[in-house]
Amino acid sequence: MKSRMLINVEPSKCTGCRMCEMACSLIHTGQCSPSLARINVVKNEEQGINIPILCMQCSDAPCITACPKEALYQDPDSGWVLIKEDLCIGCKLCHMACPVGAFRFPKETKKVVKCDLCGGDPNCVKFCEPGALQFTAEVNFHQRKSLNILSAFELKFDNEKAVKHNPTPEGIRI
Amino acid sequence: MYGWAGQRAVIDVTEKKIIIEETDPRGIELFLGGRGLNSYTLYQMVKPDIDPLGPDNPLIFGVGPVNGTLIPGSGRMTVTAVSPLTVVANGTKPCFGDANIGGFFGPEMKYAGFDQLIFIGQSEEPIYIFINDGQVEIKDAKHLWGLDTWETEKTIKKELKDNNVQVVSIGPAGENLVRTAAIMHHISRAAAKCGLGTVMGSKKIKAVAVRGTGGVKVKHPEELEKIVAEAISILQNDPSSVTYSRVGTSSLLAAHQKAGRLATRNYQNSQFEHWEDISSEALQKYWKRPAACFACPLHCAHYYEINEGEFAGTVGEGPEYVTLASFGSKIGNRNLESILYLNNLCNKLGLDTLNTGSSIAWAMECWQKGIIGPEDTDGLNLEWGNYREVITLINRIARREGEFASLLAEGAYFAAKKVGKGSELLVNHVKGQDPGLSDPRTAQAWGLGYAVASRGGCHLRALPSSETFFSPEEAVEMFGYEEAVEPLGIKGKGRLIKWSEEQRAIADSLEVCKFIVRTGLIYAKYEAMFFNAVTGQDMTPEEVIITGERIIAIERAFNVRQGLTKEDDTLSHRFLNVPISEGPAKGRVNNLKPMLEEYYEARGWDLKTGYQSKSKLVELKLEWVAEELEKLGKVVE
Repeated sequence: MKSRMLINVEPSKCTGCRMCEMACSLIHTGQCSPSLARINVVKNEEQGINIPILCMQCSDAPCITACPKEALYQDPDSGWVLIKEDLCIGCKLCHMACPVGAFRFPKETKKVVKCDLCGGDPNCVKFCEPGALQFTAEVNFHQRKSLNILSAFELKFDNEKAVKHNPTPEGIRI
Repeated sequence: MYGWAGQRAVIDVTEKKIIIEETDPRGIELFLGGRGLNSYTLYQMVKPDIDPLGPDNPLIFGVGPVNGTLIPGSGRMTVTAVSPLTVVANGTKPCFGDANIGGFFGPEMKYAGFDQLIFIGQSEEPIYIFINDGQVEIKDAKHLWGLDTWETEKTIKKELKDNNVQVVSIGPAGENLVRTAAIMHHISRAAAKCGLGTVMGSKKIKAVAVRGTGGVKVKHPEELEKIVAEAISILQNDPSSVTYSRVGTSSLLAAHQKAGRLATRNYQNSQFEHWEDISSEALQKYWKRPAACFACPLHCAHYYEINEGEFAGTVGEGPEYVTLASFGSKIGNRNLESILYLNNLCNKLGLDTLNTGSSIAWAMECWQKGIIGPEDTDGLNLEWGNYREVITLINRIARREGEFASLLAEGAYFAAKKVGKGSELLVNHVKGQDPGLSDPRTAQAWGLGYAVASRGGCHLRALPSSETFFSPEEAVEMFGYEEAVEPLGIKGKGRLIKWSEEQRAIADSLEVCKFIVRTGLIYAKYEAMFFNAVTGQDMTPEEVIITGERIIAIERAFNVRQGLTKEDDTLSHRFLNVPISEGPAKGRVNNLKPMLEEYYEARGWDLKTGYQSKSKLVELKLEWVAEELEKLGKVVE
């Protein structure tokens, strides 16, 4: 299988603004609502640690094994774990099996939803200004992921990394 | 309903009665939400003989139609009440009060189903309020009383077993009715102006916690995405916004030093010889990473940590320019680590760093001039820069320990009235509140903005950033004169301030952060675009400005009804009469009179009394306000 395109998370760059939650729920539901977003930022305010949590697209996904209705499957083309919503009975076994807690349960439908990478153009990535979310090919992904998570706890300020654009030294205005 | 949540809760903490009702439709139509809607509600609920710390003063939390959406900086909330700190009618009557707070509380309140929370009455026992998806519960808070704001937030989250609960709370300062008390949230976010933490303390409301699983319905999702993408790109290419992304408002310290408007030793100087020690360059050593409020691509805040020395172990967020100056230049203190510590201390105790810093700077000048001595300060040595004594003093102020701390707990304005001996002339204020540490003798337009701000001295009411941002051509087009954008110019400033106030009133009423619409996105068309994409309405940029004017008008009417006259629209002694001692504006004072007259004319207010005109109020669809003011004889034709 060719390398998959996945969302790479770098928590150390996350500022905790939760714009990803807004972008996700807006494109999927027409509403801005964290509880309908398939990505959520877990925060420790006093330490300033922010970790975006979303489906990590496991290659051997426990949620697929757990689902009694075969509603979850790995798409052969993209390699992503997706849901056939009409088969879901809302039993939440997938959520119990999920190691990161990536599923959501909208009250209206009572069926689980999860990240579908917006079909290949993830909205959360588009609106992540600090670049904590990136849509990248899966190369050394697992090593990278663990290092990324570790870096969330490593408090080291990198001013240049913190903004995408170079500042103008003369640009201080009031 | 698109945009708005559609309902409000009126919570009577005396009777423990809760009414959930539709959000006032006329309020939404005329004033949008947030600050505007709150101002309208306050105008309706309050009678002129109000006691700010009595049961009849409503404490109103309000969010706006675009709160909690993809729109950059859409996480603000306005808290409104009659202020126990600011005054009108020559200091005899309380003034209109509000304070705006960032973080994550506003959006969560909207997701919980409310545009407004209105607290009335006074509880006998400490309580906290839990708002959970449309339900309002009044809970016991005896175990929280006395805790600092960080402990309070943590304890409530643990107790409710939900880390996604958002909490605002007061610290010991609010509990002890210190007039400069703030309402705090998320470590360092504060509704700080006008002493509204004191109003919350008078109701014995220790905290308000919200949790909501609802959402904000957006009428045009795709259009909204497009507009927001454009807005973010404008911010990323705007040098001024990029500076805020990198270092936040701390960048202003160097800018103000250079311009000669850095409040130093209680405004005796306008430049600080040790400014480099407390600048954003010096701060970088302590910063660990940027931090953002809700949906903010600007992320102007930073986490800091001190690893060694006297203040080792200090971990917090900030500090803003106002705090850097308040506990730095303004009290003659060059020890940056002590400022970081004091920032945390005030955040935990629930104190406004600006107005608390003001009380201390005033006391230090009184010490310098021999008006007070060790026998008055309960033994403290208040020489400039003595940060250790300042730490002790702030701990005492928050708990009103001792006579001197209790005096300063009243704020500089009221304290000076008690002390007398010429100390009144050393308080730098407008309507009792420190205007925000940019010296108006150098920044002429800012001085006008302070003088007319409806909540008392405040740099954010007008925030005339267009003064440094607009080209001379644009200045002529918008304000009639090129010198409108020269810091020391006078002509055109009245119109500049009027226009700026309207812009800011709309940002505050949509509840979008003013830093987002500060420079590149300053034009009314962006506010209209945001509003229309979310609500599906079709407001024009012209209507945005008119709505802003209406918001200013009702706040003015409130203050006029309280007893405000033209004499209140002024600056304190030093700004008007004592020439500035150094910097580019050396020898200048604020030339308020001609600017104020131009401003009154632009607003259609009476030049003699400062009253509004009946025809203008009617034009703004405020006939009922005009009628009430007419009965009181406080309106002109």
